[in-house]
Amino acid sequence: MSKIKWLKNVKLEVGNVELNNGSIGTKTDIFHLKIKDGLIVDQVLASEKFASDDEQVDMGGKLALPTFKEMHNHLDKTYMTLDWKACIPVKNLAERLKYEAAELVELAPTTKQRATKMIQTIAGYGATHIRTHVNIDPYIGLKNLEGVREALESFGDQITYEIVAFPQHGLLTGEVPTLMREAMRNGATIVGGLDPAGIDKSIERSLDEVMSIATEFDADVDIHLHDGGLVGYYTVDKWLEMLEHVNYKGRTAMSHSFSLGDVSAQQQQEIAIKLAKQQVSIMSTVPINMGRTLPPIELLDKHGVPVHFGCDGFYDSWSPYGSGDMLEKATRYSELYRKIEEPALRNSLKFITGGITPLDNEGNKVWPNNSDPASFVFFDAASSAEVVARKPLDRIVMVKGELLKL
Amino acid sequence: MVKTLLKNVKVETGFVKEGNRVVSTKTELMDLVLNEGKVVEFGKNLDVTADVVIEGHEKLLMPSFREMHIHIDKTYFGGPWKACVPITKGIITRIEEEEVLLPAQLPTALARAEKMVEWLLYQGHTHIRSHCNVDQQIGTKHIELTIEAFKKFEGQLTYDIVAFPQHGLLRSNAEGLMREAMRKGATLVGGVDPATIDRDIEKSLNLSMDIAVEAGTGLDLHIHDGDTLGAFEFRKLAELTNQAKKQGQVTISHAIALGDLEGQELDDMIAVLSEAKIDVTSTVPINRPTIPITYLHDNGVPVSLGHDSLRDHWSPFGTGNTLEKLGILAERFRAMDEYSLNRLWKYASGGITPLNEAGEQVWPKVGDNADFILIDAVCSAQAIARQRQITHVIHRGKVVSETAKSKSGLIK
Repeated sequence: MSKIKWLKNVKLEVGNVELNNGSIGTKTDIFHLKIKDGLIVDQVLASEKFASDDEQVDMGGKLALPTFKEMHNHLDKTYMTLDWKACIPVKNLAERLKYEAAELVELAPTTKQRATKMIQTIAGYGATHIRTHVNIDPYIGLKNLEGVREALESFGDQITYEIVAFPQHGLLTGEVPTLMREAMRNGATIVGGLDPAGIDKSIERSLDEVMSIATEFDADVDIHLHDGGLVGYYTVDKWLEMLEHVNYKGRTAMSHSFSLGDVSAQQQQEIAIKLAKQQVSIMSTVPINMGRTLPPIELLDKHGVPVHFGCDGFYDSWSPYGSGDMLEKATRYSELYRKIEEPALRNSLKFITGGITPLDNEGNKVWPNNSDPASFVFFDAASSAEVVARKPLDRIVMVKGELLKL
Repeated sequence: MVKTLLKNVKVETGFVKEGNRVVSTKTELMDLVLNEGKVVEFGKNLDVTADVVIEGHEKLLMPSFREMHIHIDKTYFGGPWKACVPITKGIITRIEEEEVLLPAQLPTALARAEKMVEWLLYQGHTHIRSHCNVDQQIGTKHIELTIEAFKKFEGQLTYDIVAFPQHGLLRSNAEGLMREAMRKGATLVGGVDPATIDRDIEKSLNLSMDIAVEAGTGLDLHIHDGDTLGAFEFRKLAELTNQAKKQGQVTISHAIALGDLEGQELDDMIAVLSEAKIDVTSTVPINRPTIPITYLHDNGVPVSLGHDSLRDHWSPFGTGNTLEKLGILAERFRAMDEYSLNRLWKYASGGITPLNEAGEQVWPKVGDNADFILIDAVCSAQAIARQRQITHVIHRGKVVSETAKSKSGLIK
């Protein structure tokens, strides 16, 4: 029997309004939403006459926004639930990897416990989809994959997820190609990769191996690319060339991709067109450390390249910071690029919702639609622009019509 | 005389090292006796009788924060949501906007200023330096309302009020108003971009200094002018500071140019500023190069932090959370190990840290002001990296804000 309930007094954005200072504001209306089997089936203005015998939940005029998507994380690495520990200072990446290797075995028995806490944290802030990378390496093999999978599964259908098999210590060494394939048979859903130049020291062979595993398992791809400047740019360009020969449009992602911001405006433009053609997603954690170039997010977005944010691993051997709040990433992006007007602030939301904003660029209401899942983050706020600027902490998270239970 | 016993607080007492590397911070449970706003006794398991006992519940005791650059007089904080209007003429857009907006906001300005102070207090600040508009439309009304707002919090925090000719000391002909503002109770002379706004560097700086000399106060000037232009202004200001014997009384806010200079140029500038004992405040901006905060400090130019705005017609962002600001500072300069994180607190506390660089406990000591926060953390490095919760704010020995009690009534 299908279950029907009404979410009463939900504030939704419905259009633009011109303010008396000449700028654009957001018009909202209060609705009652009819939910059937977790989907929205009707949206009625609260000002209209309403009567129903079905279950009713009063949302008290709170603003509904789409739930967030955390698109780049490492659930297996966090220290959450363990005693406080800062990072060990290192001179370079090789040294960082050495420390990680030493720690992996020690951390492996608590992976499920640590990942669970991280999922609770991320989801509590409103992200109900998590794409996590999980180490597949010579030190722990598939141990972290098991722990992360168990943790994610324990949340049932409240959390959707993708698991990227991530060769953190290099793809081309020893038994890693075999381990990667084993990971794909044991719950990993996406093939990862890492710095074909900087780590694998063989750009073409590394990309080849990633794509060969991916096609073997008919799986999507998400490669970490920190390699900067032209070598990173060449890596992306070479890979795009390879993608021409496999039918992978819309199934790939490059994470970080700092190099896209290092090259000339002309080159940025050229690569943006190619990335858009293949619908490659660019995942950014919006880093703010001094001297760090970001990929040209606005340009990529303008060219139709999907851009998604992630928290990255946090509170682990790589970084002691990070809250797990995806909204903070949208706020930070807006501050970084001076998005201070209502439409600009509002637009920043799409990088944490998988592209969804309640209003389109012209201010037409495009979300939510009937038959969309009744999955929301509710805020006491006037508009999504206010939410992005103020990142309010008080939130209610709902997945398919049910309050998130953590 | 009220004798207060602050019991069972965790105090940082040293570093734990592996070889030369600091791996963690040692803490010990301590009691403090407070009297007349000062620490009068400090030790373990003190056996004293007191009029008031504050149970510390093993929370970490840290020096309270100082908000060193904010504008409490022109905020949207506490009012309805409003984004910013587009900028079409640079900073002049905002100045023209203020000419209409600020008079219109006057009826709510005092209430909002009070909300902001209350919020900053809750976030652990027991000193606030507020810049306060002095302009042709507002006159000195903002000075009056800022004084009135702070008066409500007398005994809960200390403050400075900077008379701030936002529309230009020369550009808007604000000299008379500025002198009036100083007579009315402003404690520092402000100013803004002698080149970009006032279009006469020499005259603008001379006049600012002249007003400060007449008022017998220090100065705190907003200088956003970049690279060589800012540097030129800093040198002029340093020269005037030395001449007027105002060493140690002059602050440059933002000091954007320090983020543009490098190598020898930067070192030369640091020498000029430190000779004149000029200090600097920064908001740790992420949308432009942040000035080299730790390098400046290590070479003799003190840096302190401010939020500037919690949301107003200039910016929709800003939280007033200095722990978050320290986290951004850490992230921006990659302070990620125990020692580097431990050394950051001083930027928010007027230079005070429990441990010195060698790891010796130097705070709190008998005779220190009893200005504290208690925080649910194992050490200050964790407090910053993991953004732990402040539970109590104590000013001159009295609890002035307590999370559990005040949270619900506050506006975020």
